[in-house]
Amino acid sequence: MFSLLHGLWNHVFSKTEFRVLILGVDKAGKTTLLEKLKSIYLKGEGLPHDRIGPTVGLNIGRIEDANVKLVFWDLGGQPGLRTIWEKYYDEAHAIVYVIDSASASTFEDAKSALEKVLRHEDLQEAPLLVFANKQDLPAAVTEEELDRHLHLKEFDERPYMFVAGSAYDGTGIKLGIDWLVEEMGKSRRTEALRARTDTYAKI
Amino acid sequence: MGIVFTRLFSSVFGNREARILVLGLDNAGKTTILYRLQMGEVVSTIPTIGFNVETVQYNNIKFQVWDLGGQTSIRPYWRCYFPNTQAIIYVVDSSDTDRLVTAKEEFHSILEEDELKGAVVLVYANKQDLPGALDDAAITESLELHKIKSRQWAIFKTSAIKGEGLFEGLNWLSNALKSGGS
Repeated sequence: MFSLLHGLWNHVFSKTEFRVLILGVDKAGKTTLLEKLKSIYLKGEGLPHDRIGPTVGLNIGRIEDANVKLVFWDLGGQPGLRTIWEKYYDEAHAIVYVIDSASASTFEDAKSALEKVLRHEDLQEAPLLVFANKQDLPAAVTEEELDRHLHLKEFDERPYMFVAGSAYDGTGIKLGIDWLVEEMGKSRRTEALRARTDTYAKI
Repeated sequence: MGIVFTRLFSSVFGNREARILVLGLDNAGKTTILYRLQMGEVVSTIPTIGFNVETVQYNNIKFQVWDLGGQTSIRPYWRCYFPNTQAIIYVVDSSDTDRLVTAKEEFHSILEEDELKGAVVLVYANKQDLPGALDDAAITESLELHKIKSRQWAIFKTSAIKGEGLFEGLNWLSNALKSGGS
């Protein structure tokens, strides 16, 4: 009886866990974003940005909101390392794609890498947050200009939001994450992932 | 390097006892790396249970090294060295392509140990000075590092003989431990 109640309790009150991929080409600011997320949501320090070097693997951040647990997977973006991205697609609920808005020379690379991500069948229907990072820099281009380069409107039907912000000063982060959490909550992909987990649990 | 190490790690563990395991197949370069880091004398001990463990005590951090692979009968004794392990440094001979499959299998089996579940993983793709050494992307693929999803990991190209890449790896490690580990 106790275990039954306990199970029910857990079912009703346990927070849903969402896994979010942070992708983007090298030097876009993915790890800086991850650390800023930690400092905003965990009220901790997060690593100072001058200590962050290029990622050659996986960094993880776990944060909790009122109703959800979020696990962020920050993967290295150097060309040779991008092959590992897709190994994490299958279990991810959503994507944050980070772009350095102040580095026009990387827009082409960022666009083609993003297109490749979105074409992958393991990421079907995953909500996409494009974070136009480094808006704190004078060289940063506006949302409209970035849009011209990326042709964002031509993306598929997945839920999609564009946020211009800065991982350095934190602008735009909460806005983007709030949207992402809401989208993941009602996403068909979330349903599909949950159904799969339940099946495993029964086996 | 010893001083650099103090700077990186003194604030990470405070005065807590910490353990970092340096593991890999035989001849991967583990001992050479410890010597390169110049953190003190490497003490080699062969306990009666019969496997060789090298230890460097650096302030409150204990580095312990042994070879994976081989004799299965002594493996249960490895667990004596698992508690309080914050990090695993896995060293691979990047030029020894014949044994990469073994290196992968040993690696994943040690990661399954319950007491090591929280440890972050730093991989040294060592012996980059040798001809035919695979690069970091190829070693990532061979070791199937992407199967690691619940803890932080990173890979660095190193040459222990030349002292290259070791510092970069430790720098990542100290950041990873500082930012909350796994």
